[in-house]
Amino acid sequence: MTAEIKLAKLSNGLELIGEHNPNRQSAALGFFVKTGARDETAKESGVSHFLEHMMFKGSARRSALEIAYELGNLGAQANACTNEENTVFYAAVLPEHFPRMQELLSDMLRPALEEKEFETEKKVILEEIALYQDRPQFYLFERALKDYFADHPAGNSVLGSNESISALQSSEMRAYFERRYSAANMTLAASGVFSWERFVKDAESQCGHWPSGTAQRVLSPYPARLTYREFRKKNILQTHVVFVSEGAAAQDEERYALALLALIIGDSTGSRFYWELVDKGLVESAGCDNDERDGLGVFMAYASLEPQNVEQVAGVMQRILKEPGSFSDAELERAKTKLVAKIVLNGELPLGRLMSLGTEWTYRRRAEPLAQVIERIRSVSRVEVLKALERFSLNTWSQYRLIPE
Amino acid sequence: MPDSQNITIETLSNGMTVIVEEINDIESVAYHLLIPGGIINDDPAFIGSSLIIPELTSRGAGELSAKSLSEAFDACGIRHSESGGHDRFTYRGSLLSSYLDEALRLTALMVLKPRLPAEEIAPIQSLLLQDIAAMMDSPARRVLVEMGLRYYPEPYNRSGYGTEPGIKACNGRQQRLDWERRYGAKGAVLSIAGRCQTKEVLKIVGRHFKEWGGEAESRPPFGPLPPHARHHIPFESAQLQICLACPSAPYGHPEYYAAKVAAGILSGGMCGRLFIEVREKRGLCYSVYARHSATKDYGALMVYAGTTPERAADTCDVLLEALRSLGGTIKADELSRAKANLKAALVIGEESSSARAASNAEDWWLDRRVRSLAEIISEIEAVDCRKVDEHLGAYPLNSFMSVTLGPKEIGA
Repeated sequence: MTAEIKLAKLSNGLELIGEHNPNRQSAALGFFVKTGARDETAKESGVSHFLEHMMFKGSARRSALEIAYELGNLGAQANACTNEENTVFYAAVLPEHFPRMQELLSDMLRPALEEKEFETEKKVILEEIALYQDRPQFYLFERALKDYFADHPAGNSVLGSNESISALQSSEMRAYFERRYSAANMTLAASGVFSWERFVKDAESQCGHWPSGTAQRVLSPYPARLTYREFRKKNILQTHVVFVSEGAAAQDEERYALALLALIIGDSTGSRFYWELVDKGLVESAGCDNDERDGLGVFMAYASLEPQNVEQVAGVMQRILKEPGSFSDAELERAKTKLVAKIVLNGELPLGRLMSLGTEWTYRRRAEPLAQVIERIRSVSRVEVLKALERFSLNTWSQYRLIPE
Repeated sequence: MPDSQNITIETLSNGMTVIVEEINDIESVAYHLLIPGGIINDDPAFIGSSLIIPELTSRGAGELSAKSLSEAFDACGIRHSESGGHDRFTYRGSLLSSYLDEALRLTALMVLKPRLPAEEIAPIQSLLLQDIAAMMDSPARRVLVEMGLRYYPEPYNRSGYGTEPGIKACNGRQQRLDWERRYGAKGAVLSIAGRCQTKEVLKIVGRHFKEWGGEAESRPPFGPLPPHARHHIPFESAQLQICLACPSAPYGHPEYYAAKVAAGILSGGMCGRLFIEVREKRGLCYSVYARHSATKDYGALMVYAGTTPERAADTCDVLLEALRSLGGTIKADELSRAKANLKAALVIGEESSSARAASNAEDWWLDRRVRSLAEIISEIEAVDCRKVDEHLGAYPLNSFMSVTLGPKEIGA
């Protein structure tokens, strides 16, 4: 292996992780901030995502336009994303632009949050909320998870609502920023062609003065709600169904077993759902996933289909989910081979590798070379999967449907 | 950018072209088989037949049943897909390099010896009809399909989803005839890129594909574009979808890269004029972009914006002003940003073996040659403000076909 993972920590707590790989054409870097919808109060709903947008809207040293133009000058493939518990700012660049990109990204992470830009961007966020209202699967998932998690913050909406965003003040966003964007609550990661020594030195001068902070996340258990609910939406043709049950957390060793089970049950080729639902033309698509999060997880199985088939399809899904331990050794081996191939292919791109490194470190404070991850997946035995199923049975769930009105 | 690329091109005696690019500092390899054909060649009574054939070939081939075939792919962890498109059939996959022989063996079985089981057609039809329904449920996808239907001449205006009557009309006999007639070796391109040895790959390809005969379809003539008009499709949704289209330089045209740069100035990254004017300065949209797309026959600039109905008129005004005012106003820094973006996107976007395999196949198919990244980059470098202005003189951005989809027509 030519790639080697290195770690460093600045005195203010900002952690650095990097995997230099000279056999690539590009470099990627990103800030992984441990904050998301889950860390918001009801009044702040949507602020994490809105704040992510504001990082592109000006810092103490640059205006919004200057940031946009500089990203353009660097030819940066840059973006950011926010989910329930992480906000990530990332960019892939040609190796010669890496130091300038690092300086730009670090500067962006100290936003000006200027009032006029705040009000303009608020309109963009309201447009984004409207856009997602027109996507049926998203519409269902957001409502299903909110209901499933009951009042637990894990069910918070990432985008927020028209009401919460319209009412949000820039002073509230500033307070949230100061509470969550402290050095000790984030990781700066890099991969591909770059110099580790320069990366650390530049991080020290660009981020070393950021306050360390005391951001915390309370990891409370959630009351698993077992229910059946239907939502209705006008003007759609397809029905959508999702089953939600307790899954493995990002810190649970069982996550390997559940990731493999998700492939056995719901992968897009050769899975149980494929043969019983897709191959027979009963659904437009079907899949499942163990969504590993901080201290908790959800296992979700979903399908989109013609309304008249909903009872039959939901019946088949329930039957498959009730007997997750009935897989053959060959099915398990195939799932392992698929997962390994997926990880290797994804890891060949600096941006793909960056995402695994940053996520791995954020959740587990672990830095594993790919070879080690692959070995761990290959070691999963039938006994290990069955043991995981003793803890996460997958056969007690909540079912949600979105039905054309 | 790679220092040098190791690309070999060979045409087999059956007329199939094989392209191999060795990239030996990665673990993976990818294959991309492109057979000319697709929906533009479908019989008018069976529009969508091209979507069924590749899927049907994956449901059992040679000695393997549908299930055994799928398990054989999965046993090697090969991520693969078989699909029909607007103007082609595509068989592609990416995998760890040691399984290349098996991947090509399975692909050749599907292409040369499919079982085409008639009883599998009904479930595939059901899947495709549900795809149409899902597209109809997604306004942002649907507006682009609706634009294609109105903008291009027949048969290039056909939806990539096929039509409901066309899909329903397909049957076992028709599918077998279609496969026999349309899956020809001559004209097909098999591109392989990643960790491999060229000599070995050529041997493997020869072994699996040498019995393949026939000739793939040629493209139907491209007729005149319908006159520009305004269309509105009523649809109850939160946002109004706006799509504009006008002609641009086709692939191989001397202004092709000037057209790419012009689209980049409008819409590259977060610093394109449309993004800055519509979103950054005014907050009118979340999603707004312009894309230049082209084949040998035609080029087009497609512009998209999604916005709430009450802001649609403003959005449209700003969009049109940004488009119309482009010619003669391009600044040197804008030009250099658009070029930097295009170059970086090219190098970074083509770092994976699957992207390399696909782009080599596409290049050959369009132009009968494979350009190196260095060659493409020097073409981009050669574009200056004068060339972009000349391009905009030949393809002015002042008249568009417009399609809107949503609860209220603009100006109504």
